[in-house]
Amino acid sequence: MLHRRLFAGLIGPLALLFATASLAAPPHLATLDWTLAETLVALDHPPVAAAQVDAYQAWVREPTLPDSVSDLGLRTQPNLELLADIAPDRILISPMFANLAPRLERIAPVDTLSLYRPGRDTWSEMRELTHAVAALIERPHAAEQLIHETERHLAALEQRLNSDTRPLLMVQFMDARHVRVFGDHGLYQAVLERLGLSNAWNGNTNAWGFSLAPLEALIELDAQLVVVKPFPAGVRASLEGSGLWQALLKRQGDPLILDPVWSFGALPSARRFADLLVTALEKDDAS
Amino acid sequence: MPADTLPRSRPPLRQLTPGRACLLLGLIVVALAIMHLHASPGLANGLMALLRAPDTSTVGLVLHMAWWPRVSMALLAGGGLALAGVLMQQVLRNPLAAPTTLGVASGANLALMAASLMAPSLLMLGREWVALAGGGLAMGLVFSLAWRRGLSPMVVVLGGLVVNLYLGALGMVLLLFHQEALKGLLIWGAGSLAQNGWEDAAFLAPRLALGALLTAWLLRPLSLLELDEAGARSLGVSLKHLRLGGLGLAVFITGCVVSVVGIIGFIGLAAPNIVRLAGARRLGPRLFWSTLLGALLLAVTDLLLQRFSGLLPTMIPTGAITAALGAPLLLWLIPRLRLGSSAPPREARTVGGRHPAPGRLATSLAVALLALAVIALLAGQGVDGWQWASPGNSDLLSWRLPRLLAAASCGLMLAIAGTLIQRLTSNPMASPEVLGISGGSAIALIGAIFLLPAPDNLTLVGIATLGALMSLAVLVMINRRSGFQPERLLLTGVAITALFEAVKSAVLAGGDPRGQQVIAWLSGSTYYVDLASAMTVTGAALVLGLAAAPLTRWLDILPLGGPTASALGVDLHRSRLALLALVALLTATATLVVGPLSFVGLLAPHMARLMGFSRAKTHLVGAALTGALLMVLADWLGRQLLFPQEIPAGLVASLLGGAYFMWGLRRL
Repeated sequence: MLHRRLFAGLIGPLALLFATASLAAPPHLATLDWTLAETLVALDHPPVAAAQVDAYQAWVREPTLPDSVSDLGLRTQPNLELLADIAPDRILISPMFANLAPRLERIAPVDTLSLYRPGRDTWSEMRELTHAVAALIERPHAAEQLIHETERHLAALEQRLNSDTRPLLMVQFMDARHVRVFGDHGLYQAVLERLGLSNAWNGNTNAWGFSLAPLEALIELDAQLVVVKPFPAGVRASLEGSGLWQALLKRQGDPLILDPVWSFGALPSARRFADLLVTALEKDDAS
Repeated sequence: MPADTLPRSRPPLRQLTPGRACLLLGLIVVALAIMHLHASPGLANGLMALLRAPDTSTVGLVLHMAWWPRVSMALLAGGGLALAGVLMQQVLRNPLAAPTTLGVASGANLALMAASLMAPSLLMLGREWVALAGGGLAMGLVFSLAWRRGLSPMVVVLGGLVVNLYLGALGMVLLLFHQEALKGLLIWGAGSLAQNGWEDAAFLAPRLALGALLTAWLLRPLSLLELDEAGARSLGVSLKHLRLGGLGLAVFITGCVVSVVGIIGFIGLAAPNIVRLAGARRLGPRLFWSTLLGALLLAVTDLLLQRFSGLLPTMIPTGAITAALGAPLLLWLIPRLRLGSSAPPREARTVGGRHPAPGRLATSLAVALLALAVIALLAGQGVDGWQWASPGNSDLLSWRLPRLLAAASCGLMLAIAGTLIQRLTSNPMASPEVLGISGGSAIALIGAIFLLPAPDNLTLVGIATLGALMSLAVLVMINRRSGFQPERLLLTGVAITALFEAVKSAVLAGGDPRGQQVIAWLSGSTYYVDLASAMTVTGAALVLGLAAAPLTRWLDILPLGGPTASALGVDLHRSRLALLALVALLTATATLVVGPLSFVGLLAPHMARLMGFSRAKTHLVGAALTGALLMVLADWLGRQLLFPQEIPAGLVASLLGGAYFMWGLRRL
């Protein structure tokens, strides 16, 4: 059922493309999903409307949404009256919002595009997603270009790395006692693989490629700690006084601290993360 | 002979004494601890690590900095919560009272959220101080609401309930719009005992010791509260000050625990009830054994959790587990609990006066409802700001009409269900949400959202219905033999609801992006309604509403108590089952449309009573109209206030209804 919808979502627009290629003005798109939104911006065809625009700017950051994008409200409950008013040509969603599809279809045709499906290689999924989005905006070449450029850029970054980099342990603080550890099946992991780096975390992860863990779970690992910002308010101060954290620093050395990157994103977020990580590693080597 | 005075359907547990229960749990704690220490550094080294941090071994370091503090914290927090629970139940004379009844936890939660979003610099001072301040403010609000009535238990309970709801709803709104920024607080909200060192235990221990000393000092006067009001007064006790002391103490202890480890439910409710069941009658022994039992209960739970956490895909916070384990325990205990027999006579129900002409009042409510419906249909915002739609604009109305119908009929159904259940149980804390039917369908729904790849709405509704039916089956199975005695019924509901809270907090703490969908649905939104289901719900509301009309005689008589009702010729078993079935139907139908946490079912009956609807028949009509009015208003306001963001109707209704309710309580 899902596959059929997906298939129709992918093939339908392609057929449309061939039928109408000559008279096509590129379609106005609305999307609820930030990952799709960033992909659209990277393909140089930003959506006309997206959900939670302010929060996107705070958490995804780059590529920024242009000011022309209308805010639809919550991702899970976009404002339907407003969306109907804006009248986009198509609406793009991810499977997370599948229960909204019947309602959205009253406004415009809906395409469901997925990422991070269980048992799939994340990087090839990102490439497929980029192709699928590009097909919908009738610019297949833009996808080729974005994928090629991103992969070339990552390959260049890989050249700059030392071959003896320790395994990385990528975490984000939730509060002073708990972190998200990023591992298998996530965006960060996919980037590490492209860069030829290894991940020190071999524990379980959920469908989104992270696991919630207390600080004590990290101490036995021999790794280079990478902390992705933001630190929640007050966490830095209470880490100062934490015996466990000090012991962790003594064993693993000072952590690399990276600016926030949307950890459920697609190619643009992957490229950003790779840039930040390699820059931080180089700076660490230099000092 | 009426069921309430019959011998218990099953013999009480004769072998179970508080001492034996504690001994058993204590042995389990020691065994688990020895197993843990023996496994890695050996017992002797493990015990050494309690006293000082070894310089070299990582294992010893983790033991000293994380494992031992965590065990200590579990014992301290469990003991503190149980102690606070006994105090609350003693002062409020309600076995359902828990340490969080007066809004401490929700106040602390809201304070932490607000500080994270608006004044992060406050959190630099230390999270526990912000949490304590929030909890203190919430308690102050409850006390100020009940002050003029001498902190009478009923008004305190109602005040606590509404403050909890109010702050909880505000917290939900913040969470809905700032999910990313507040994700760390969700772990706190689920109660994690993970430790980073000894600071938190050192913060908590002296404060708990102080609390315990003060409790011992208040022991004699507090035990007088077991007498009825007049009896206590004749002994020259100032009830108001005694209650202030007892509740203040309970709140202080709870606040300290909650501020360091977050919200750990159930221990404070279950430990005192288990100890009472095991035969401790007088206040002194109950306090002592409950504290011990609570400490051991939490320690066992946490040690077991740590032992098996390696098998789980993600960390599950302890608070979620206590509720998940405690709920089945409570369900098992309910048929064995001795309830109602030793309770002191309650005060007369005196909330709200009687309106001279309830008919006229009801008519004006109906007119207001109609007027509001017209506004909600035609006024709204679009791309170009405010617009007044023409009645012929069918495109626009096709979005608005289903939501209006759903809001009105769900408000009506929940209000009727609430009136029925409050009159059936004579407990002001009762509501359809508390009965566990909403909780059951919510558990099923969360499961569906997380386990199915891309569920559509029909699947979700089907699964939610199944969940509602299953919790109804549990309710009936457990309570059939006791003749649906009200206290047992409510306790069953509390257990199911606790299970739901556990599932919810575990799921949210895990940080899955789909959490926002769960929050949105739980908050009671008319967003997902289409015209067909709105029509169905409206039809159901009318049919079920009319079905309640012939039952009003029972509703006037049942609150007089079991024996009186039997003497007046009411078949207790049959009338209770019939009312319960109707409540279940009403709740299940409404929950499927607007989600489980709208609280209209709790608030509308009280609001109707405050307006002066007092006889069963007028109370039902008044509550139904109030419920519908409240939901329609909430739905419309929720869509306009933060346009284009939508605040779910259930949350707005809690805020509107809660504000009115607090104002009404103040006036009493």
